[in-house]
This record gives sequence, C-alpha cells and structure tokens, in this order.
Amino acid sequence: MTHDFIMKVSHLTKHYGEIIAVDDISFVVPKATVFTVLGPNGAGKTTTMEILEGIREPDGGEIVLFGQPMKRITRAAKQRMGVLLQEGGFEPHLKVREIIQLFASFFENRVSVDAILEQVALTEKAGAQVRTLSGGQRQRMAVGAALVNDPDLIFFDEPTTGLDPQARRNMWDIVSRLKAEGKSIVLTTHYMEEAEALSDSICIMDHGKIIAQGTVRELTGQLGEETLIEFRVDGILENQLSALSACCDNVRQDGGLVTLETKDLPSTMSELLQWSETQGVPFQDLRVRQPNLEDVFLTMTGRTLRE
Amino acid sequence: MKDVLALAKSHVVTALRERVTLFWFLVFPAFLLTILTLIFGQVGQEENVHFSITLINHDHAESSNLPFSATRVIEETLGSLSEARESGAQPLFTLIQPAPGSDGDAFLEQELVQIRRGNRAAVLVLPGGFDEAVLSGILDETDRSGATAKLYMSHTSVASETASSIIEQILAEIDRTILIQTGRFDETQAVAVVTDWIGQEEEETRYVDFVLPGIILMGFFTNGLFGVPGTILFNRDRKVLRRYWVTPLSVGRYLAGFGLGHLSLCVVQFALLFALGKYAFGATIQFTHPLSIIILVLAAITFMAFGFFIAALAKSANAGMAVANILNMPMMFLSGMFFPLVGLPIFMMVIVYANPVIYLLEALRQSVGVQTSTLMPFPWTFIVPLFWIALCSLVTIRRLRWDVAR
Repeated sequence: MTHDFIMKVSHLTKHYGEIIAVDDISFVVPKATVFTVLGPNGAGKTTTMEILEGIREPDGGEIVLFGQPMKRITRAAKQRMGVLLQEGGFEPHLKVREIIQLFASFFENRVSVDAILEQVALTEKAGAQVRTLSGGQRQRMAVGAALVNDPDLIFFDEPTTGLDPQARRNMWDIVSRLKAEGKSIVLTTHYMEEAEALSDSICIMDHGKIIAQGTVRELTGQLGEETLIEFRVDGILENQLSALSACCDNVRQDGGLVTLETKDLPSTMSELLQWSETQGVPFQDLRVRQPNLEDVFLTMTGRTLRE
Repeated sequence: MKDVLALAKSHVVTALRERVTLFWFLVFPAFLLTILTLIFGQVGQEENVHFSITLINHDHAESSNLPFSATRVIEETLGSLSEARESGAQPLFTLIQPAPGSDGDAFLEQELVQIRRGNRAAVLVLPGGFDEAVLSGILDETDRSGATAKLYMSHTSVASETASSIIEQILAEIDRTILIQTGRFDETQAVAVVTDWIGQEEEETRYVDFVLPGIILMGFFTNGLFGVPGTILFNRDRKVLRRYWVTPLSVGRYLAGFGLGHLSLCVVQFALLFALGKYAFGATIQFTHPLSIIILVLAAITFMAFGFFIAALAKSANAGMAVANILNMPMMFLSGMFFPLVGLPIFMMVIVYANPVIYLLEALRQSVGVQTSTLMPFPWTFIVPLFWIALCSLVTIRRLRWDVAR
C-alpha cells in the first residue's frame, strides 16, 4: 500500500514526571514538502522532534514512517533519515572530509564525500579542522553529515539559529533545493519569516498541544480579511489610546508598537490621521501589512512566539 | 564493520591531534620513564656508586714482629677492593690512610669532620695492640676477649650504611677464617649463605628493565581510567554523541569502535615506551613471549573497561574525572608500585586482593623475567581482571547514555 505521506503521527504523548511535554498530538507530513513545527520555547516542539528523530521514546501514540507503523523510531528507519540537530557538536580536531566520511560509515546507503562537500559548498574547506570553521560553515557541514545517506526524510531542527543573515539565506537555499529534489523535510523554527518562506504546511504548538495546522494562507486566513496598520510612538497615554479604540477596531499596544486591525483601510487611515492630529501624537514607522503567523499565534494564545 | 573502523580511526586521529591528550598519552609516560631511569637507574648499579673509607691503623709498629697480623689482612683486603678492577670499571670505594709517621689522633679528628661533611662514608680505627689481642685469642683457647676495632659512620648517609656493611662483612670473614684455621670454629655448625638470583641468571636485572613494565601499565591505566571516560563524557557534554544517536549507529558498535581506537593508541604508546627504554636506556627485556602480549592486551582492556564503567555512571565529564580520581588512588597506591603491601590492615588487604593492577603488574614482570609473583597463583592473574571486565561491561551496556540527563 502506498501513501501520499512520508510520516503520520497519531496521538503522540510524552511526560517528564508530572509535566506533559507532548499532549496527544497528531499530524501528517506529506511527501516532498516542507512541514514546519512552529511554537515558542517550551511549546513541546523540541521533545516532539527528539521523538521523531529517535532520540527519545514516546509514552504513547503511533508513528507511521515510510509506510511502517512503529511505537518508536527504529534503526532501519534511521537508515532513510537525515537529522540536523539544533544542539550537536563535532570532534573539533577532525577535518571536514573526515567528519563526512565518519558519518557516511554509519549508513548502508552512502553518497560520495565529494558530492556532499559540493552540495554544501565546503569543497575548499575539506581539509580544514572543524575548530577552524565559522558558524555558518559548521552548520553547512552539519547539513552535509545529515545528507550522507541520501535520506528520504530530513529533519532541520532550528537550522538558522545563531547564524548571520547571509548564512541564514544560504541555509534557506539548501532547504529549498532539497525540497525541489523531492526530499521530505520537517523543520522547526521560531523565526516566523523562515516558516513563511520555506513551509508548505505548518503546525503551531503551544503547551504541548497543536493549536493550529495548515498552509500559511490557511492559517493567516483564519484571521479573516483584516488588514493590519502598525506604527511606533514615543509614548502614548491611556486616554489617547482610548480615543484611538473608539475610532478603530482591535487596537493593540506592545511597548511602543501600536497595531490596528481593519477591513476598511481608507476609512481607518483617515480616522487615524485625524486622531494623530487632534491628540498630538506623531507616527513613526507607519506601515500597512497582511496578517502573518505571529498574528495567528497572538490571536490564538494572547502571547507572541518569542515570549 | 566499516562504522567500527571509521570510529576507531577518528578516535586515534583526534587523540594524536589533541595536544592535551597527546601529552598524557605519550609524552608524560615517556617523560616519567626518562626521569625514573635517570634518577633511580643509578642506585644499585655497582659501577656508579662510589664513596671513601678511611682506615687508621694504630697498631703498625707493634704488630711488625708478630707471626700473624690481622691488621695487615684488613689493610690488604680493603686495599684490593679499592683498586681499579680488570674490567676497567671504577672501584667501589677509595681507601684513605694517614701518611706514614703522621699523628694518628689528629688525622682521626680531621677524618671525623669529613664524615660530618659527607666526604667520608666510614672511618675504621684499628687500635694499638689489635694484632696482639687477635693472636692471644688464637694461641690461648681460654682467652675469649678478642680484639675490638672502632668504626665511625654517619646516621644520615646511605653510603655510610653500605660502607659499614662491607667492613663488617670483611671483619667477620677474617674472624671466621682465623677460627677455622685454629680449629676453634666448627664448620658443621656454621650457617653458610649462598645467594642465588632468580629470573635473570646470566646478568643482573637493570633498573630500566624493572621499571619499564610498570610504566607501560601505568600508561594503560591512566589512559583507561581518565582518557576513556574523559573522551566519552566530554563528547556527551559537547553533544557529539547526540549526533551519533540520530544515525543507525548502536551503543555497542560505538563502544567497539572507540575501544578499537583506544587499543590502537595503547599499541602506539607501548611501541614508543619500549623503543625509548631499549634504545635510550638499554632495556634488555622483551615482550615477545605470548604470555607478555596476552597480559598487555588484557591490561589495556581491563583499564578501558574501568573507563567505560566511569563513563556509564558519571553525569558529566567533571563528575567522571572525580570518580576516576577516587578509583585511581586505591588502585595505584595499593598495587605495590610505591610501597610494600605487607602489614596492611585487613580491609586494605581486601582492596589489594581485588585490585587488578597488582595482578597484571606482577604477571607482566614475571612474563618478562624481572620478578616472581608473590600475591596469588597464576590463574588469578586472569580471573580478577576478567571479573572486572565482565562487571564493567555489564554496567556500561545497561547504564551508558548518549545524552545528558534531562
């Protein structure tokens, strides 16, 4: 029997003592897509990933992986998986080529070391010891180590955390290229723009549960047809904010950032300008945008992803 | 098998590139062998010990007309021992005597000062009437008073102890010879001591030959007890093991690869120390006997198993090093390496008998012919280490974790 999904997770549960880290979650990862698990710290996404990567055993639930049902990830399943861990080190005195060779030796199916080095743009650094690499180069080597077996399913756990913008963009290119090659990818990130740029489907986790699932369009569409207006102010008084709420819907304030929701942009903009003039509150960084995943999370939980 | 070999290779390569590991693995044991051999290798080597003995004979004039002169015998014996030997080797000691006609008492005072300064090992004074007293004892069977020589020596000098021992032996031998010649000594009642050196019949055991097996085992021991858990636990703390865990690699295959790499490093370490001992310090012992090779391999595996055991129990690298230190003290100090094990309290003897180091050390020295086993019969040489290997392996398989505790 063939499936159109590479992984199906049903009623997955994991406890640490009294704490429920993963609370009866279910989702499906379609083949040749990027599936993203999004959530703030402590949402349970790391534990979920560790279970799916084979690091931890679940307390309950079932995983169907490569068409095979299993209670925990088996060694045979790992032969077809590649994992880029969020936290993972390498022997600092080994060279890049030696690291790739070492990891390749763990698998039955092996891609040539030179092909891997070329894929992650580290051919010139093949003879360099790990300790001499930059953060971005080290992360690309980690990707190379995750691809040595030409895996069907690849886990990218917070792949761009701590990287500079250029290295982050390089990582996005690698993920996009792998997806184009037909690889299935499970991604975790707390960068909203990364999830929006790379994901075909997303599940948002909070307190061990999945609180929303779907494509970016489906998730942001849950907020309706509203448009958001944002601006910054140096300081705003309570009565000034009350006056603004009287003329506009759903006014939120987060520090110096004020956000309004509207279905009638021209009318709201007019009222906003008038409010600014009468209250004597000058705008800074005024912009109009569509709702994003951060807004979805905020709407559902009342908190931001980074809280 | 490819994964095991790749892990072994990576372990060896990493160790050889890491300066700290390299120091403890290769440089330190070589340094220790060099220091020990240079310092203690001189002690007990006859050709390298030299001291001065002063002989003052106050009986010269008085004994010149006597038919037998014990003082002359003593002078000639000490004189011959102080002459250069045929082989060209340096004599054991220099004999110093006062110039003819000089003031004997003044000379004695001067030589006693030299003893205090450490320039003389001993001063032997033969008093006036010494020969007469000896002769009286020979001729008169009823005279049991005998002659008395005076020996001055220093309490704080090892050379003084050696010198007094030599002089006392010479005097005792002269005494015995005189008694035999005069029929006053019943030889059937005499206790004759014949010294027989066991293990190296043809040549005396050199210090480097004695110490080299110990240094090799100490190297294996240190690397097993500290190097193995250090590497595993630091790799766990640095989350290197986590990366292995998400691959199909099993704990057993990881340990096999790591162990193979560790044993390869032990071979490198052994080769270096053996070459240093042989070519730099003239060690003559060989480790080519199958029993020597078996014991070396057994020792490397035993200490590695202890390292795995520590890695399996410790929660962090720092904790692992603390446990290693706790195990290190009794295992090293109750191995007989540093002081004799006789007379220890019973609870300490229990540790001694459970300590694999002592069995392996004695067995290795025995196999290369520098020591006989004194602790236990031969099978225990294998039984005790094998017991520890089995126990440590069992704990390791059950308790070793890839990841830090959560």
